[in-house]
Amino acid sequence: MEDNEKNANRRKKRAEKGPNQRLRQRTAVLIIAILVLGFGAALVRLSFLTLVQGSSLQEAAVSQMLRDTKINAKRGTIYDAKGKVLAESASAWQVVLAPINFETDQQREAAASGLSEILGVDYQNVLEKTKQKSYYVVVKRKIEVDQRDRVMELTEKLSKDYDCDGVIQLLDDYKRYYPKDELASCVIGFTGADEQGLEGVEFKYDDYLAGTPGRIVTAGDARGTNMPFQYEQNIESEDGNNIYLTIDETIQSICEKYMAQGIIDNNVKNRAVCIAMDVNSGAILAMVTANGYNLNDPYTLPADVQQEINELPEKERDKAEGEALSAMWRNKAVADTYMPGSVFKMCTASMALEEGKIDDNTTFTCGGSFVVDDKTINCHALGGHGTQNFTQAICNSCNPAFIQIGQLVGMNKFRDYYRGFGFADKSGIDLPGEADDNFWPEGTMSLVDLAVASFGQNFSITPISMITACAAVANGGYVLQPYVVSKITDAKGNVVKNVEKKVKRQVVSKETSDRMNEILGYNTETAGATAGYVAGYKVAGKTGTSEKIGVEEPVSGFGKDYIASFCGYAPADDPQIAMLVFFDTPDGGAYYGSQVSSPVFINIMTEVLPYLEIKTDYKEEDLAFIDVSAGDYTGLSLEEAKKAVEEDGFSVSVKGSGDTVLAQLPAVSSKLAPGGSIVLYTDEESRSEKVTVPNFLENTAAYVNSMAAGYDLNISFNGAVSTGGVAVAQDIPEGTEVSPGTVVTVTFAASTDSGFND
Amino acid sequence: MAPNKRMIFQADVNRIYDEEYQRDEQAKKEKLFIRPSRRRKMKNAKWFGVGMGIDLPFCIILLVLLTIGTIMMFSASYAFSYYTQGDSYYFLIRQIVFIAVGLAAMIVMSFFNYNKLHKIAPIVLGIAYFSLLLVLVLPAGEGGVKRWIPLGMFNIQPSEIAKFGVILFFSHWASKYYNKMQLAKYSILPGLIVFGTIALLLFLEPHYSGIVIIGLLTVLMLYIGGMKTKYLLIGGALLVGLVLVLAVTGGLSYAMSRMAGWGQALEYTTDEMWWDTYQTRNSLYAIGSGGLWGLGLGQSRQKYLYIPEPQNDFIFAVVVEELGLIGAAIILLIFALLIWRGITLSLRAKDKFGKLLGIGLTSQIGIQVVLNILVITDWLPNTGISLPFFSYGGSSLIMLLAQMGIVLSISRTANIERT
Repeated sequence: MEDNEKNANRRKKRAEKGPNQRLRQRTAVLIIAILVLGFGAALVRLSFLTLVQGSSLQEAAVSQMLRDTKINAKRGTIYDAKGKVLAESASAWQVVLAPINFETDQQREAAASGLSEILGVDYQNVLEKTKQKSYYVVVKRKIEVDQRDRVMELTEKLSKDYDCDGVIQLLDDYKRYYPKDELASCVIGFTGADEQGLEGVEFKYDDYLAGTPGRIVTAGDARGTNMPFQYEQNIESEDGNNIYLTIDETIQSICEKYMAQGIIDNNVKNRAVCIAMDVNSGAILAMVTANGYNLNDPYTLPADVQQEINELPEKERDKAEGEALSAMWRNKAVADTYMPGSVFKMCTASMALEEGKIDDNTTFTCGGSFVVDDKTINCHALGGHGTQNFTQAICNSCNPAFIQIGQLVGMNKFRDYYRGFGFADKSGIDLPGEADDNFWPEGTMSLVDLAVASFGQNFSITPISMITACAAVANGGYVLQPYVVSKITDAKGNVVKNVEKKVKRQVVSKETSDRMNEILGYNTETAGATAGYVAGYKVAGKTGTSEKIGVEEPVSGFGKDYIASFCGYAPADDPQIAMLVFFDTPDGGAYYGSQVSSPVFINIMTEVLPYLEIKTDYKEEDLAFIDVSAGDYTGLSLEEAKKAVEEDGFSVSVKGSGDTVLAQLPAVSSKLAPGGSIVLYTDEESRSEKVTVPNFLENTAAYVNSMAAGYDLNISFNGAVSTGGVAVAQDIPEGTEVSPGTVVTVTFAASTDSGFND
Repeated sequence: MAPNKRMIFQADVNRIYDEEYQRDEQAKKEKLFIRPSRRRKMKNAKWFGVGMGIDLPFCIILLVLLTIGTIMMFSASYAFSYYTQGDSYYFLIRQIVFIAVGLAAMIVMSFFNYNKLHKIAPIVLGIAYFSLLLVLVLPAGEGGVKRWIPLGMFNIQPSEIAKFGVILFFSHWASKYYNKMQLAKYSILPGLIVFGTIALLLFLEPHYSGIVIIGLLTVLMLYIGGMKTKYLLIGGALLVGLVLVLAVTGGLSYAMSRMAGWGQALEYTTDEMWWDTYQTRNSLYAIGSGGLWGLGLGQSRQKYLYIPEPQNDFIFAVVVEELGLIGAAIILLIFALLIWRGITLSLRAKDKFGKLLGIGLTSQIGIQVVLNILVITDWLPNTGISLPFFSYGGSSLIMLLAQMGIVLSISRTANIERT
């Protein structure tokens, strides 16, 4: 407005209006500057922030309020087939710091020293954590109630003494417990720090077990406590599913007990495997990799292994420890392969039968060795088995006979059946880390290879595939898919998944299977303990002793390392349960399957078959050891009593000079062996008579029976009393004074003795 | 009988400086605009008087703003109040007391004859200088800054007095030397002297936002007081040039980074920056969270200790979060109406002094609103500029309401249509 204006009139006019006009104009400029430019800029800026950047800013705001308070889902429980808990998660807590709320170093030090003392963590470490500018620093996870209570006390103390609030939080956490410790360790597996499955079913079924972690989306204020109003988006955690295994805790523990004993007895160097399978469904009833490890403490090596590692130079220790741990966790039944040896003969025999290459009349001659392609293959019986029929060849486990059977089957058919039995593929069991087999690739198999393959040498398969093939031989030729999980339910118990029996194929006919059952049953029956005979049951089975090929430095004292195995099933006429037992590198008194593995098989089956309520079928000689009940003879006249006792099949021993039976031992309904002696008391004085209990241990059942008769004692026979069983325990110790006629319970177990047939 | 010129001079010494008034007086006399009784009253102008009545629209807008501001102050403060004072109503109760005192001051001032301020303007400026010096010798307050003079129940901020002093002084100066304001000697020189000295004192406190506001007010008062636009343009050009030079030499970004992470609230790279920009960043979060419609009254989340002292300078961030862009725009509109009404009524004042004083006092509100919003949106460095009628604070609210009382007093003489 200071511009020159040419019009004089205008200037004059302006001069008249003068200052007032100028002020109005300048005020207009001022209003424009403040209300249009200033307020406009503010409004533009606000619009930009709210409308354009709004969502991203809001997200940032929300995310700083929602300091990821993850609510861990409760991991599902693992049950055995009968509903016993094998693995479960229990409530625990995690200690979390919100170090941003610390105000002074004094508070930090107090909190750090308190926490390090309660939780047993490093003081410096905690102190570092208290200095971070964060709302969420985990100090320790999975603490239990007592520690939690002490942390709560510390929180109160900090609040009271140091005026320091909102720094320590206790969040829900879970801790995994395995109530049975070592039981089925190779199957169940364990979990890591974040409850993630690391091995076994825990790993394989992690998706089911884990559940979905929830988030309590409470908006916390800047100090981390919840805001006093409802701004909550609660995404609930979904608890994991529960898993029911096919494993039966009872069978599993029976197996583990005897496997552990077998390892000790035979000084087994490289662990052992036992698998029990339901022949008709493929369900795994027990799977043992012995020795197992404590699932509650999976990072602790056995003392001797740890000792060895400690002796190593320091830099090798970590590596050695890692290797030792993974070896310990390895499920040998699934993740390792072995040479099946003579056990495989049941497959070779089945294929020959199925192909009609042999019948009962086919004979084989064994001269102690057999020459294939200029290569001499020895039989284990150096003198040879002579001429045998098919059944005898199996019973003798004659290698030359099986070489001939293999040749009759032919290389291509042999390979087809090898595939048919499921050895070439993974069995498909629902456990992690299943190994591949190791067989000659197509076209590389020589006649020598075929010859040794026909008796199970020079190729390796997994134990799980061997038992699957054994089940196929037994169940009518059906190759099943083995499984360890039978059912998955959600947290409320609704069934999420039911595992059904899955038949892969029928590899041999029902007739072949029946015939094999007969032959293998006959094998067991005739060979007795060395072939897994279990008193009272028809058991079919085959031993196997395989040489470990390619072992450069044998560890056993036999010059070579062996695998002693036994694979059998029961009952032979209606197979229900199949079981494979093998010990890798025994270094005790024996290495034959018949010596090492058969006894273990017998001991396990002696307990498992009654548990499964398999019908008994005792042979005559076994009946002598089956307990019967004593009758009631008191009150009778001596003559009547004697007659009654003898009628019941017992012998009589009369004490005293009376005419009437006043008392008897064993008492009414006591269990004792048939033919035992019933002591009848006819007067009171004779009741003070005593006998001393002898040592029955290490004797066979028959000998114990005769010993007992001599001492006027009765025996209740328990366990594997049939051929090969020796007494391993008696309930009344040696030297105890007891009344005549007292029943001593003696437990028998099959043991390593001089049997071989391999 | 025509009034004696000399008598007018004696009766109302202020108006002798105002030629414009004299001319209008002449015209009005001829038009018999002012009744004899009114003339007499003016002749014997007292310290207090009712005059023609206050401007009701201005007063109503003012009370509406004050009501909204108090509600929002309560909403913004109650969580912080609960955590820090253990009582959600701590700030509300105090603010209501301050409002009561402030309204009383406003009513008193609205009856006060503002013309009396003409005489005492230099004295008020003197008091401002005194308080600015006094605060420097008193012990430093929180954070080592010396911004407050403690006075028992509440504290007085000398810069508040200085703002009023500057507006009052330049209203006085410009109306006194209105004809000479074209000359640099009468505009630029006193401007530089007054601003320079106050700025120096504020720099020592330090109180940078005070310097900015005093600077803007000085320029504003000189401009409407009649300073040559040329000087304003030269000054603006110098300022732009300085900024450009800094930008080219990289000094600007350095200055920005030095100014508590100005403009980088969301792009912090170091822990130090994270802390420096904490308040501004959370303010941006709050504003962004509000969106168009807001989260609803009382529903702010950022006020839960995320924004430090949400009842103070950053209250508008909580307002936007709760009421959204719509609510913020309505509040800005009410502020605009207030400013518009205040400036237009001041223009109708009978004298130069009243016009300048009214415009200055009203504009001060606009400047503070704009600067406050630009600070909370991270366009200006975080320097502590409160939002009139919204921010919690005793001395500034009472000062503000008293100044509004002066505007109302001016409105009593303003020739504007009333219903």
